[in-house]
Amino acid sequence: MSGPTGKSARTAHRLRPDTGIWLLLLALTATTFGVGEAGLGGVWVIGLVMGLAVLKGYLVSGFFMGLRRTRLLWRLLMLGWLVGVVGTVAALCLTAVK
Amino acid sequence: MAQLEAASAGFETENPPGDLAIWFFIFAELLVFGVFFIAYAVARRHDVALFDHSQLSLSRVAGGANTAVLITSSYFVVRAVAAIRRGDARRCSGWLLGAISLGAVFVVIKLTEFHAKFAAGVTLSTNTFFMFYLSLTFFHFMHVIMGMVILAAVALKARRGGYSAEDYTGVETGASYWHMVDLVWIILFPLVYVVH
Repeated sequence: MSGPTGKSARTAHRLRPDTGIWLLLLALTATTFGVGEAGLGGVWVIGLVMGLAVLKGYLVSGFFMGLRRTRLLWRLLMLGWLVGVVGTVAALCLTAVK
Repeated sequence: MAQLEAASAGFETENPPGDLAIWFFIFAELLVFGVFFIAYAVARRHDVALFDHSQLSLSRVAGGANTAVLITSSYFVVRAVAAIRRGDARRCSGWLLGAISLGAVFVVIKLTEFHAKFAAGVTLSTNTFFMFYLSLTFFHFMHVIMGMVILAAVALKARRGGYSAEDYTGVETGASYWHMVDLVWIILFPLVYVVH
């Protein structure tokens, strides 16, 4: 039995990986919100906002849903949905920019 | 057996966490939402000015707050799963109750938004943007309610000792559904509230 000293104490105080992912997701959300509040629009903004959505979706599906530890087929299915849907939506929005 | 051995070595599995059946349901749901999102983008493409103008009347603060609320509730669910894997059913139940409470916050914010729109005379037939906005967000809203019911059932069973460090598939199944609800909103928020 080892007490809460040395290496184990350092481990106990380390940020949990899922807590780090949660904070990153909140930061990415704040970025998307900030872009909206700034009233920014256009090709680059649509690309950025939808790119952030894919990144957030990847983090939620991989780390929160646990897909990163599953076989390739499941990861490809989710990534295919994310990139397929968001990519199509982004392409439709980008080609409609005035 | 292989699943069990893999699970003990860092919870790595061949299949996703929870009952496999929920994953067929999740991907079916994602497919429906995906079609909905693409239909929204196609409709927007036909009348960008209308969509951009109508979008200005939405509360981006409410949409952003709801995104943070759902992401945080998803995180609480992750902690609930971690707790039950350690065999701590009481803490698992506590995290789930936290997630359900945040789900309730989402519901209140969304209802406030709906009320404001209906009070302003907005209906499904006001224009194409509002037809999509109301139907898409209401469809998602119903999934949040459904998710809260599932999490409540799981939390209750956990509190009564129905799950353990050896048997927690039900917790993972409920968690996977809730994350899906979060995932859909993560795409919905920028698409409907931000992109213009």
